[in-house]
Amino acid sequence: MKYFSLVIPTLFLAVFLYALIKKVKLYDGFAEGVKEAAPLVLSLFPYLAAILILSELFERSGLSALVTGWLSPAFSFLGIPPEIAKLVLMKPFSGSGSTALLSEILHTYGADSYIGRCACCAYGSSETVFYISAVYFAGVRKKRMFTPIFVSLSANFIGVICACLFCRFM
Amino acid sequence: MGHILVLFRIKSSMNAIFAVVFTLAAAVFLFTDPDGFLPAMLSGGEKAALLSLDLLAVYCVWLGFFKILEKSGLADKIARLFSPLAKRIFRTDDREAIYCACGNLSANMLGLPGAPTPLGIKATKRFLDTGNDRAADLLFVLNATSLQLLPTTVIALRIAAGAENAMDILLPTLLSTLISTFAGFLLLKISHALRRKK
Repeated sequence: MKYFSLVIPTLFLAVFLYALIKKVKLYDGFAEGVKEAAPLVLSLFPYLAAILILSELFERSGLSALVTGWLSPAFSFLGIPPEIAKLVLMKPFSGSGSTALLSEILHTYGADSYIGRCACCAYGSSETVFYISAVYFAGVRKKRMFTPIFVSLSANFIGVICACLFCRFM
Repeated sequence: MGHILVLFRIKSSMNAIFAVVFTLAAAVFLFTDPDGFLPAMLSGGEKAALLSLDLLAVYCVWLGFFKILEKSGLADKIARLFSPLAKRIFRTDDREAIYCACGNLSANMLGLPGAPTPLGIKATKRFLDTGNDRAADLLFVLNATSLQLLPTTVIALRIAAGAENAMDILLPTLLSTLISTFAGFLLLKISHALRRKK
């Protein structure tokens, strides 16, 4: 962990020194890159807003709690403890929401409990699929977006089932 | 099997998901808590605005860095190094797409927050422009199944919650994320193969 913090500064230093040797104008080049930042964020914004408003509605309307309630028997059958069912369902929609939820679970059940460890692995092995799809396919009129989204959601779910299994003996 | 194929035919699935979830949620609000509806939407909008600001800050750093990487010629070297592998995975000869996709995947593995996204978007645009939809799908699935080697957020939260050994979830997380990425890769291949048969 200590050495990992060296990675980013080393990466920057190495690349910038190499660029200097290659006689790249660092100031102009860096600014040229940053120029793309605002248009990029602007192009993502509408899709981010739509997705985040939707997940907020999903959460606050109580739909998410309802769906969690329906699914938790199926989840326990697959070895996923009901305590983390909500986390598993929330992760595809919201990164910040699921981070808050993970922290809550860790404080309620303890970081070293089976539930706590399970929640950590489930969180770490899955991704915010809908958020990523909003970002990557922003403004793209792509047919059959269902396939990659469905595939990613299923793969993440398989990962969560495995995580809960591994946590039993690791 | 039939109903799965019907689902595959839904075009622009995000519109379908949005319509279903939005209508259901709005209906529930109407009957249980009509006053909570607008605040919920506004709070979503607020989150989007705050997140965009965060993203802007992160992209400033990484896009500047990537431009230096490009100008120094290192980006081209990286692309050349990975191109034999990338040609097989993504089936493309496009140098820029290869560099962007490889940079995206390595930034993902290192868990550099925010860094993978700009490169991933560039690579996706490039793939779609050249009609290589499958490569775009594959890159998305690789991103969306979390190839992260060091879950920094989880470790930080565990330390904050007073874990005795904050790192002991590394191995199970790594194994399950490898499995999920591999499962995503396989499922995508299967769905592409199914579509070719039709």
